[in-house]
Amino acid sequence: MNRFLQLFVLTFFSTRVLAGGVYQEPDAFIAEVFADQPPKASVIWPSTELKDQMKTVLGHNYKSLRIRYWQKADRTAWILEEIGKDKPITTGFVTNQGKLETVRVLIFRESRGWEVRHAFFTDQFENASLITDFELDRNIDNITGATLSVRAVSKLARVALLLDKAVSAKKAGT
Amino acid sequence: MTGRKAKKHSAFLWHRRAGLVAIVLVVILATTGIALNHTESLKLDQRYVDSSLLLGWYGLEPEGETISYDVGEHVITVLDHQVFFNSYPITTTEQSFHGAVNTGQLIVLAFDSELVLLTTDGEFVERMPTGQGFAEIRRIGIKYQRPVVETTDLVYLIADEHILDWDLITDDGIAWAQPLILDDTRMAVLLESFRGRGLTLERLILDLHSGRIFGAYGIYVMDAAAIALLWLSGSGLWVWRRRQLQQKRKRHYQKHHRDNANPQALPRSPLP
Repeated sequence: MNRFLQLFVLTFFSTRVLAGGVYQEPDAFIAEVFADQPPKASVIWPSTELKDQMKTVLGHNYKSLRIRYWQKADRTAWILEEIGKDKPITTGFVTNQGKLETVRVLIFRESRGWEVRHAFFTDQFENASLITDFELDRNIDNITGATLSVRAVSKLARVALLLDKAVSAKKAGT
Repeated sequence: MTGRKAKKHSAFLWHRRAGLVAIVLVVILATTGIALNHTESLKLDQRYVDSSLLLGWYGLEPEGETISYDVGEHVITVLDHQVFFNSYPITTTEQSFHGAVNTGQLIVLAFDSELVLLTTDGEFVERMPTGQGFAEIRRIGIKYQRPVVETTDLVYLIADEHILDWDLITDDGIAWAQPLILDDTRMAVLLESFRGRGLTLERLILDLHSGRIFGAYGIYVMDAAAIALLWLSGSGLWVWRRRQLQQKRKRHYQKHHRDNANPQALPRSPLP
């Protein structure tokens, strides 16, 4: 009986511990992406057109008027946030020439849907790019019980690619 | 001693108990029901509750102190985790507020470990965590039209024009943000904004009527009161019918069997 109780308590609390939290500080993510030599942050103030495109993807305006990014050569790192159900999910993205290189959930604040942090989910985005209508070139498998989180991270991935395109166009123009 | 014994489960006993239990709830149901039937004539939807206790119960009364800073033509206030630009809610925060400055291009709000940037028109620009290796912010000021922060380890840092990078400076010539005490008018406007349109008397009476004012279980309490009313009507009918039958039996008994049952009860007729 005691063993059963212990197992129950461990299972219950281990789930709680694994759920939401700070998995990696945004600073640490940026440092890791650029091998501890992160470039200085830059900012993009999305144009009206870009804002509209982001709105199409998200279903609402992105919460910030300006977005920071870190760029070295063709690699650009982004820290973006989108609400899953009630609270924002902070996600780090690395884009490279119009494709996603890395997707990592950094801070998860909600009580459900934290499974999106796992590699089996984020690995699906590797080398994904945008096709028409700002959709990804592939289907992202859902996770039962984490639909809203999956949706939020997938939307952010599309936003990261839109931003990458805008930054690349700006870079090419200068 | 009457010789009568109350039957444990008699309908009358349960009728009485249900009546006593339900009395308060039935009074609430009845009075609020009448009031709701006359919402328009009583103008319940136009009258607002100003009791702090009730507003607090509804989560409409702000908790904690109000902290305001003057940023030129505007005022930034944090009230119960809500950040206001004048009286417009901008964002929320879980951190302590340490001041706000206007750089001319942006308004910078300082919290423990993050800065919130607004346009000079109060539009939300960005929330910037200060990051690792940056101690908590203690206060914010301005120098050369750029924000300066003092951290808890008494380091003074000045931001670049985009507020992306920070450089060390000395504590010289910094105009530190000074807290502002809101006057009654501004405070009233802010509270109105915090509470939204407030709590109408109609809402309060409606919640009393449905039981929702008592929380998630309140509706079940009112359901129980309604069931008690149904029980009372049934048991009342039952008790009335039983009494009627008893009276009938008694009258029948008195009319036909009284003499045989108790011969000494009445004087015998003198007639043979």
